[in-house]
Amino acid sequence: MIQLLFFLTVGGVLFVFLLLLARRGKAEGGAEALVNARQALLTLQTELLPAGLVGRIFAKDDLEFVDSEGSQEVRDLFLRERQKVALLWVERVKDEIRLLRYLHLGSARFYARLDLKTEVVLAADFGLLLISCKALELVFVMRGPFAAPRMVGTVANAAARVCDISQQSLAFLTTSDLNALGGTSGPGQVSA
Amino acid sequence: MKYGEKQGDVRSAANDLRRRTLSQFSRPLDRLIYLASTRDYNTGVYYHDGLAAAYSQDVACQALADCHREAFREILGTSLCDLVGQLENYMESARLGTETFVEAWKKLEPYRVTVPVESDPLAAEFVFANFRTALAILETRQAARPVLGPGA
Repeated sequence: MIQLLFFLTVGGVLFVFLLLLARRGKAEGGAEALVNARQALLTLQTELLPAGLVGRIFAKDDLEFVDSEGSQEVRDLFLRERQKVALLWVERVKDEIRLLRYLHLGSARFYARLDLKTEVVLAADFGLLLISCKALELVFVMRGPFAAPRMVGTVANAAARVCDISQQSLAFLTTSDLNALGGTSGPGQVSA
Repeated sequence: MKYGEKQGDVRSAANDLRRRTLSQFSRPLDRLIYLASTRDYNTGVYYHDGLAAAYSQDVACQALADCHREAFREILGTSLCDLVGQLENYMESARLGTETFVEAWKKLEPYRVTVPVESDPLAAEFVFANFRTALAILETRQAARPVLGPGA
């Protein structure tokens, strides 16, 4: 009986070890993760974080203009529409940041030699970002899209910092590498 | 044709388009509507006979697509106040009454086809939301205007 338990335990430990190895191997060779991260980086830098767009989505002058029209109905519609856009923005930022985090948890360590300090800063930024995104979502739902302009700025700045570090991590990937991996070279392509 | 040469041609064709055609439209909204109308809805390919004759269909298509993205970015950066003004001017230049225009735009949502193909969904949704609010503002302004009798 004791022998059976011993062999079952050894078998279990070996099984867990194999599972861990399989996960690790997948992350190391994850071409898909690299392509996704590269795409996430481009999306963040060109579509979600440009100051012009963020500034426009959360522009108070739009709200002031709507207020000056003096219609409660229009004001309600405007706030509903802007809330939808604000929630979409924060959700998209969160999703893309998760893709970048996935890269750093797995593949990046093997390709990009980040020093310990950078890795710690990055881990803190990822944590801060994901918590801030969740908090922003709550604020937008409960108090509307114009309730936390500073928090929006903090999220955008932290995301930009993460993008800069991720760009260094992905610098080894050239456009031809990306094409070979089945990714795109950027959102500026003419598909028409 | 080499990639670099082709890109040079596209830039030159786009400049041509801006100088000769797009300069006639003073408002970004008019440019956006015009450029979207040069695109075949079934294929996404842009057509401009003059530009295609001077360059090639492929180059003309890319130049139109570049200018389309540019016009879309302009609208994306436009304030709500400015967008309402541009819509009012567009309506006047098309000689349409506010009621007819707002009703048609609210029902048909023609602004949806003005978005370039590769646009990010967030940018598209932001522009649509602004159009919906701008139309509501025009409608409210129209309702607030005093109704004039036939003798007025």
